Amino acid sequence: MSDVAAHRLDPEAAEPSARAALRGPDGPGRDMIGPAVKYIVLSLAAFVSVFPFFWMLVGTTNSSYDIVRGKAWFGDQLLVNLGNLIEQVDLPRVLFNSFYIAIISTVATLLVSSLAGYAFEIFRHKWRERIFAALLLMLSIPFAALMVPLFVMMASAGLINTYSAIILPTIANIFIIFYFRQATKAFPHELRDAAKIDGLKEWQIFLRVYMPVMRSTYAAATIIVFTLTWNNYLWPLIVLQTNDMKTMVLTISSLNSAYTPDFGVIMVATVITTLPTLIIFFLLQRLFVQGMLGSVK
Amino acid sequence: MSAGVRLEGLRKSYGAVEVIRGVDLDIEPQEFVVFVGPSGCGKSTLLRMIAGLEEITGGDLYIGERRMNDTDASRRGIAMVFQSYALYPHMTVRENMGFALKYAGVKKPEIKAQVDEAARILGLDQLMDRRPKDLSGGQRQRVAIGRAIVRHPEVFLFDEPLSNLDAELRVQMRIEIARLHSELKSTIVYVTHDQVEAMTLADKIVVLRDGRIEQVGTPLDLYDDPDNLFVAGFIGSPKMNFLPAELSGGALTLVEHGGQTVPLPPLGRAPQEGERVTLGIRPEHFRKEGSAALEVDVEIVENLGGETYVYARQAGSDVLTIATGGARGLRQGDRMTARFDPSDALLFNREGLRIR
Repeated sequence: MSDVAAHRLDPEAAEPSARAALRGPDGPGRDMIGPAVKYIVLSLAAFVSVFPFFWMLVGTTNSSYDIVRGKAWFGDQLLVNLGNLIEQVDLPRVLFNSFYIAIISTVATLLVSSLAGYAFEIFRHKWRERIFAALLLMLSIPFAALMVPLFVMMASAGLINTYSAIILPTIANIFIIFYFRQATKAFPHELRDAAKIDGLKEWQIFLRVYMPVMRSTYAAATIIVFTLTWNNYLWPLIVLQTNDMKTMVLTISSLNSAYTPDFGVIMVATVITTLPTLIIFFLLQRLFVQGMLGSVK
Repeated sequence: MSAGVRLEGLRKSYGAVEVIRGVDLDIEPQEFVVFVGPSGCGKSTLLRMIAGLEEITGGDLYIGERRMNDTDASRRGIAMVFQSYALYPHMTVRENMGFALKYAGVKKPEIKAQVDEAARILGLDQLMDRRPKDLSGGQRQRVAIGRAIVRHPEVFLFDEPLSNLDAELRVQMRIEIARLHSELKSTIVYVTHDQVEAMTLADKIVVLRDGRIEQVGTPLDLYDDPDNLFVAGFIGSPKMNFLPAELSGGALTLVEHGGQTVPLPPLGRAPQEGERVTLGIRPEHFRKEGSAALEVDVEIVENLGGETYVYARQAGSDVLTIATGGARGLRQGDRMTARFDPSDALLFNREGLRIR
């Protein structure tokens, strides 16, 4: 490129008057339009994301009447709402149900699905890719199509209205198997070789080497599975039939379907339901990001 | 304690694809053997078969006097050092080094004593509580070697252990491995594609191609007396020059050099009149003196200080690599006379086999 051409194209190299001409009649103002639009859009998106949480928190401190009226600031009804909730719902029992199902489901799903993901990636077999493709294909079957056969299965096994009815169908989670298989591609196979030479059996390699090395993948999967099972609504609604088995999500639903719903109470119940997933997310956040980027460096 | 290794007709197939095609090899106790060969020749697969990390499809493997074909990797009396170090990232250096002993049921004080001894040999004393991510490449490789040492194996297996290190560190580690070998008096099987590593470390080099052994010998045997064109071209850097030739009238006519003739190297059995052969001359065998001479035009000059490599050719010929010692002042486009003594040259037949 000739000097003249370079001079023409580089505003910083040009004379001040020429620089202004290059920027156009509105000069520096034009440079600010792009970022301004960007920040406006981002602010709107942030508002849309955060407002429901704010509204939920505000709602816990207001009466049902104020919430319906659209009061958007904190009130003094928090303890009243909490008292009403405790009066209407056996909170410890419902929380126990939710935690029991979510924790057992998460542990079992992670164990079974990570084992499957590990096996799919590590062991070669002529049917491997076909079986895996068949598994992935099952992701396309909507839950509505599985609901009735699953219910019949659970009923014939005598599991209706038990924790097992909720937990068992979640354990082999195809998405989590897929996720672990993808993550295992980054697991150094030489570590497995080294462990074999060190005398470890395959299950010991999985427990003592694979699991610790892939901990960020496990963290990310924990957040995903825990949130899914904690928030699970439709299937528990179908198979859990007595009040003493209900989970928090089902409880909120039943509060909402009352003849005159108390929105203050519903908001308190909603906050209590949201807290565990938030706490887990913040506890595992650093590992979650690593897990999403790839576990092994 | 070190043991020999014997491979008898060793084979490995993946389905219909045969990657190791009948390898016979004897490795003496305390010997340092290096497998070299181009990518995909099967050298790492062969090492992994010895280690027990790849199943053996055919043939027999003996370590010491025991047949090891079906023995678990951890019971073969071997230890392996990997290219990527393969250190457990969630363990400290001490835990990494003691891991195998812990699984072998060795008592804690004994593990500590052995780990400390290996750390002392390798100068790792100050790094024992660090994790692998806090170590440099050289330190990681030393830990990997330390992990192998504590097992007191009968045979050490090294799979391109220095490939991930920078040039300077590679030289240091090479010297360290040589020192370890003389100190531990152990049998070592070492895979590399780096000729310098092979030439400097090995008691015996095994050159592999397409899953077969091309030649086995000491580094200088292979350098001075290769069995075929492949070994002659593979061993030595820069590689040997190959000049197509034809025997006519008791001398060699160089096909690409305008029919110029050079005397035959001394041979036990001379080729037949008219036979197509290949004349091999190493770059350093071109000298100022010599009964054979080639007129060539200089294309590129590489001055390395102590050595100068000239890449030159005659119109229509392949490029010749000529080592001119410390000679300087040659420029691109200069005409030079490359002389050599025919007794330094090697002759190969049409099949690439050496004519001696």
